[in-house]
Order: sequence, then C-alpha cells, then structure tokens
Amino acid sequence: MIFALDFFLRRLSQGIVIVVLVALLIFTLLRVVPGDPVRIMLGPMTAPSVMEATAKKLGLRDPIPVQFGRYLLQVAHGDLGHSFIRSAQGGSTGGSRGGNTFDTENRAPVVELIRSTVPYSLLLAGLGVLFSLIIAVPIGLAAGLNSSRWPYRVALYLSAVLVSLPNVWLGVVFILIFSARTGWLPAIGYQGPSYAILPALVLAVELAPVMIRAISVSVAANLLENYVAVGQVRGLSRYRMITWHVLRNASIPLLNLLGVQIVGILLGSLFVVEYIFNYPGIGLLMINAVFQRDFPIIQAVAILACTVLVCINILVDFAATNIDRRLQY
Amino acid sequence: MASDLTIGAARPARKRSMGLGAGMLVQAWRTAEFKVGLVVFIGLMLISIFGPDLLGLSATRFDVAARFLPPMPLDGSRWPHLLGTDQLGRDLFVRSFIGLRNALVIGVTSVIGMFLVGSLVGMVAGYWSGWVSLVLMRLTDAQMSIPVIILAITILGVSRPTPASIILVLILAGWPAYARFARSATLSERRREYVKGAQILGAMDPRILFVHIAPNILPPIAFVAILDVARMMIFEAIFGFIGIGVQPPTPTFGTIIADGMKYLINAWWITTIPGLLLAISLCSINLMGGALERARNKRLQGVG
Repeated sequence: MIFALDFFLRRLSQGIVIVVLVALLIFTLLRVVPGDPVRIMLGPMTAPSVMEATAKKLGLRDPIPVQFGRYLLQVAHGDLGHSFIRSAQGGSTGGSRGGNTFDTENRAPVVELIRSTVPYSLLLAGLGVLFSLIIAVPIGLAAGLNSSRWPYRVALYLSAVLVSLPNVWLGVVFILIFSARTGWLPAIGYQGPSYAILPALVLAVELAPVMIRAISVSVAANLLENYVAVGQVRGLSRYRMITWHVLRNASIPLLNLLGVQIVGILLGSLFVVEYIFNYPGIGLLMINAVFQRDFPIIQAVAILACTVLVCINILVDFAATNIDRRLQY
Repeated sequence: MASDLTIGAARPARKRSMGLGAGMLVQAWRTAEFKVGLVVFIGLMLISIFGPDLLGLSATRFDVAARFLPPMPLDGSRWPHLLGTDQLGRDLFVRSFIGLRNALVIGVTSVIGMFLVGSLVGMVAGYWSGWVSLVLMRLTDAQMSIPVIILAITILGVSRPTPASIILVLILAGWPAYARFARSATLSERRREYVKGAQILGAMDPRILFVHIAPNILPPIAFVAILDVARMMIFEAIFGFIGIGVQPPTPTFGTIIADGMKYLINAWWITTIPGLLLAISLCSINLMGGALERARNKRLQGVG
C-alpha cells in the first residue's frame, strides 16, 4: 500500500510537470506563429479598432507568460475555456458574417465540445483495437511458436506490407471497395455505430503489424527460457506449458506495448482517420480547430492527449511492477 | 558505410567493435527480403529520376482534352499516359514519380536531421551524467508525450507549410527517440575498456565521445533509421492529404490522393494507383530496414 502510494505520488508529480511543459510548448507555438485568430473570428471586413478591442477582451494582446499563467489557473479550476469560433448553440460563427454578429459571450465551452466528441472517438478506437487483436493474435502466436518455420516468415512479410500501407490511401481504397462500389458499409459521417467499422478497419491495419511483431518476439523469447525445458522435464504437456506459463510470462512486455505504443499510435492515427471519414470524433474537432485557429480547442486537445499518454505510462509501469516486483521504478 | 568497411579492414585489432555497422550490412545482405527491397527501391529511384524526362511530360501542365484518361491497359487509355490522367488532364505517372522524389527528399532529410540532433543530445546526456543529462532527458520525456500528428497539425496548420517547415516539424517530432537510443548506447559504451584506456592516455572528453564512442554506436542507429524514412514519407502523405503539406502545384502523394477522393466513383485510378506506388516504395524501404534491424538484434545478442 505504501509502495503504491509512494509510486503514484512520485510519478504523478513528474507527470504533471511534463503536461505543463507540453502545454507551455503548444501555447507558445500557437502564439508565436503568424495567423491572428481574431481575424478569422470576425471576418476580413472588420475595422482594425474592433479587432483590437476583441483581442484585448479575449486577452490575446497580453504577454505570453501572463496569458499562460491565466490559462493554467483556469485549467486548474477545471475550465478549459471557450471556443473562439463555435457558438454555444452548435454551428460555427465567424468567417465573413461581419463583426456585429460575433458575440464573445455566447461561445461553446471547450469541455462541452470535447465531452460530446470523445464517445465517438472511444467507440472508433475500441473497435480498431478489437479488430487489430483479431488479426494480430493468431498470426503473432503462430509466428512466435514456430519462430524458425514458415509461419514466422509469413508474419514477417505480412507486417512489412501492412506497415507500408499509408492510412490516408487505405482509407480511400476502403471507401471505394466497401462503400462506393459494393455498398456494404457506410463510410462518410456518422449516423450509427456501423459508420465506425470502416475507419476502425483502417486503424486495425495500422496497429496489427506492431502487435504481430510484439507478440511473436515475446512468445519466441519465452520459449527459449529455462523454465520451458524444466516444465518439459516435469512432464507438462506442451499445450499446458504454452497456455499456462509461456503466454502468462509473455504478456508482461505485451501489456507494456499495448499500453504505450498502441495508445501512442492511436492518438495520431485517430485524428487522420476521423478526418478521412469525416467521423465526428475529437480528431475532427481538433483538425477543424487548427484551420480556424481556435486556440482553446487546440490547447485542450493537446493537453488531453498528453495527459492520457502520461497516465497510461504510469499505469503500465505500475502494472508491470505489480506483476514482477523486480522491475522497481 | 564505406568508411566503416575500410576502417574495419585497416585495423583488424578493433574489427569487432568497429565492424558492427558493416557486419549488420553483410548479415542483412544475406537475406532475400533485403535484396528484393533494394532492387525494387533502386528501380523506382531510376524511374523517378529518368522517367518523367524520357516521357517528355510535365507534372503540372493542364490538358483539358485528356482529362480522366484511365491507366494503360484499360479501354480509352492513351499513350504516353501510362497511369492515366487526373481531373485536369495532368499525367499521373509523372506526378506520382515526382511526388515520390519529393517524399523521399523530405523523408531522408528529416531523418538525417533528427538523427543528428537526437544522437548529439543523447550522447551528451549519456556521457556527462548530472544535471545536463537530467534536463535533456526530462525534455525528451515531455516531447515524447505529444503525439507527432498533434504537434505537426498544430504547427503546420497554423503557419504556412513549406518543404523546409515540414522537415523542421518532422525533426522536432522525431529527435527524442534518437536521443533515447543514443543515450542508452553511450551509457553502456562509456563503461567499456577502450574508453577507460583513452581517458588514461589523457584524451579529452569531447574527443573520446566523438572520435571513439560515436563510430561505435552511431552506425547501428543510422541503419535502423531507414525504417523511419518510410514513416516520415507516410507523415508527408498525411500532411498533404489534410492540406498542410507541400502546397500545390508541386505534386505530392497526399494532394494527389485528396484530389482523387473527389472523383472516386468516376475515376478510381487517380487515388488508388499513385497510392499503390507509394505503398510499394514504402514496402521496399521497410523490407531493407527490417532486415537491417533484425541483423542488428542478432548481432547484439550474439556479441554481448
């Protein structure tokens, strides 16, 4: 218990430092690069004086450290700010509508926007991981258990091919084959869970080679360990040996991988795949926000993604130290 | 690569430690997949260098009379448009191969950049432990916690993307992984006898680090970096697709795929065939990189 407490306190404090650093990086980058969000908010026909007034009101003309300090305080209170562009009723204002229609008070809270998109992304990510497990586990196990024979080579070439398929292209090809030509699956937008199948397949193709490789390497390495030979001497059947001992031992590094690498890949690919399929998840929200220079949404999504990665890292390390106490922290 | 071979031959006494890079290459060369990858890759390179000029076609010239021509063996195709034409009558063969050239330049340059930055930081952090190491490694930790795509979309989407800024973003996103590799390699290398020997002989720290340690640890990292070239080329395509890559009229895979998506029903080849070409080139790179990586793993297990 004390061990766990100590572990979490130490790692969480490190994690918070990392998240704050990342937030600072993104925050500064957004304000240093050219591109004034006020211009997009109010449209190109706005008088400079109105633009300056709005920018001042939003605090965009203060020095960056001041802005960042204010933002951190806000985030610490659980408030991620309000979107620059989207109004609270949904739909986005701004563009060429003229300065008078823009209402700085009536903007959508970022927390709400994220809350409404995250379930879609979770559905897509979960389905993607499920599909990739269905593809990768049998192939990886076959390759790991026969590491000097043909299943291993098949898995090797298959992973090399899968890893070479760019997700943007694969997404379009899947739309062409499974949707446009045959009409088997819906593709663009979201009107029901079936809309998540095609994007999830694209994610699965991306995740599968990483999993195949990890599973086969881990299983093959464990088969060479002494305990396998000892088990045989004890008279355990190969089946029992593999299911009870090899898979259990092989799962520790796999857990590590599933946690860190898979989440890492997902946090990148999800954005792209959602954009290809116009799938209304957090990735689409983020990409649209970037094009509209909607700083609060960009910052919030980046901080969220970073927090997820840091937390997954901590949990995975904790799980690993609990399964095998030798791996202290 | 070549310098490794000659050094290994000239000083047989140090062959084992100097020869890791060359040994990897020899071992990878023995595998079928490395040769297949190399042959395909060289073939594609030759086509992309000489093909567009031989056919005498431009990648950006419109030809409204020759819009939506299908690729060669199909009905309605026309010489010299081997892979057909797009919605503006631009030749897809030339566009794809020039796109491949651009993708390779961006991929290779960015990987070289992240390799240089990352190994320098990693080696310094591994050699001088203490606060330098701590700060550098916390910095890499922080940077590894941002997904590449988020960082890239943020920077490129908000600024104006040029080839140079794309390369910079990729370097910025990619160097921490190299810093980690280089640091752990330097940490273990620092305890080896030849380093102690050099210290006793009075060599300065920078000299030990860059003249003695670097040639031992960098070639294996550099060979495995080939895999990253393929990854960076995928990123380049993704950026182009989203619209934050190299801007039109320069042809890139991402913009070709995104353009073709609008005409998917009528002209399926605009997206699929250039993408297939990209996939084949990536596959050839991955086969070579994978063979080198496995060769390294085998040698590391075999040697130590």
